[in-house]
Amino acid sequence: MTGQAFFVLTALAGGPRHGYGIVGEVAELSGGRVNLKIGSLYGVLDRLAAEGLIEPDREEARDGRLRRYYRLTHDGRRALAQEADLRAATARVVRARLGRADPAAAGAAG
Amino acid sequence: MSSDLERRYRRVLRLLPGWYRQQWEEDMVGAFLDSWLTGDPQTDESVMEFCRPTMGEVASVLALAVRLHLGGPGTPRRHAWGQAIRRAVLAMLLMHAVLAADILVSLVRSHSLVGWLPLPPGAEPTASPGGAWTTVYCLANVAWIVAFVTLALGRYPVARVLAALAIVPGLVALLQAQFTGFFPAPFGPWAFWVPLDLAPILAMTAFHRGAPRVAPRRWLAALPAGYLLVYGPVLALQETGNFAWLPDFSGLCCILVSLACMAHAPRAWSRRAPGTGPWSLALVLLGAVFAVYRIASLTSYGGDPHLMTVSLTELLVLLAAVTLVAPDAARAQAEAPGPRHPRAMTA
Repeated sequence: MTGQAFFVLTALAGGPRHGYGIVGEVAELSGGRVNLKIGSLYGVLDRLAAEGLIEPDREEARDGRLRRYYRLTHDGRRALAQEADLRAATARVVRARLGRADPAAAGAAG
Repeated sequence: MSSDLERRYRRVLRLLPGWYRQQWEEDMVGAFLDSWLTGDPQTDESVMEFCRPTMGEVASVLALAVRLHLGGPGTPRRHAWGQAIRRAVLAMLLMHAVLAADILVSLVRSHSLVGWLPLPPGAEPTASPGGAWTTVYCLANVAWIVAFVTLALGRYPVARVLAALAIVPGLVALLQAQFTGFFPAPFGPWAFWVPLDLAPILAMTAFHRGAPRVAPRRWLAALPAGYLLVYGPVLALQETGNFAWLPDFSGLCCILVSLACMAHAPRAWSRRAPGTGPWSLALVLLGAVFAVYRIASLTSYGGDPHLMTVSLTELLVLLAAVTLVAPDAARAQAEAPGPRHPRAMTA
């Protein structure tokens, strides 16, 4: 799973959102590090929808236009949980290795 | 009424393929416009009139358009090509399996291993199968049959290994001929080995872990059916002594693909028959492979005008037959994606 897809799924884990809402949520989740362009966002949404990880939730009228909201599917929720576990496990391994390889960090910890 | 800014965004979105715009354009326009809104009606009115898509936004749409047009993951082009390649590879392995079955039957007959089977025309009975090469040859043919069966059953890694092993004896024989200077034509047997042995094995990468399963029963039934349909008439011609009517192997392949194209054409032209595109594309691929094989093997007949005429006629018939399904194959690359694609999504 790409980093962008991971952030989009995480944004939708908090509840259904429309396109620009997802962009804002991803920026907030990543502390401003990930600034999704609309073109990139819809590339990701298209793939996630094709994989059955997201689906439309509802449409709301705003300024004469319909905003479509998206939500996670059951498969999407499961895929996000698996990816989160994988990333957490990887992070633990990285931290453990950094701890062993960096005597200063090890000394500070001890 | 749409604003100037909305019209500008819609112009940029024309870079995207039609099937994609149909699904996502309204959403994308909405998201683009949302990104400009300030909440102050006067400011928003000016924004809608005077602002333009930023370079970054245009670049992101352009990057998406390139990925979609080139057939990136999840696109209809990628989906259609994946399906078509898998079907073409299965058809090629079916051809090898049928060929292998015929070779094994011929070996059994020529060595009188089964008493009630008659000898092939012109063959002398042999006391026993001769040498290690005959054994290797038999095993390679058995490997083709098992590779086809395992591929149809979805055991992709096993099928890949077996098919890779099956082409080794042919490669060894080719290299031996190459280094001993015995080659009957400019391309020699490479004309068979490269497009018909090596190419499908390389293309077997299309059978990746996430690839949808094929319908095993139909493909497995195609093996005995294909053998009877192809070698029934061939054996009948041999038995009756009408050898002159027998096409060479590349001619036989051209005729079979031509017949398949003609049988498929009515469905390919009918707008009411959905999902024909990947089959059309598979037939175009098979047509291209066998056209290459036919052209490369023409060099063997350089001195015989009659055989050249027959071979060129087979080639022309093949090209004409492929032309029947080519428009449908082209449509498949920009049409309905896979069954899980959200093209028909509704809120």
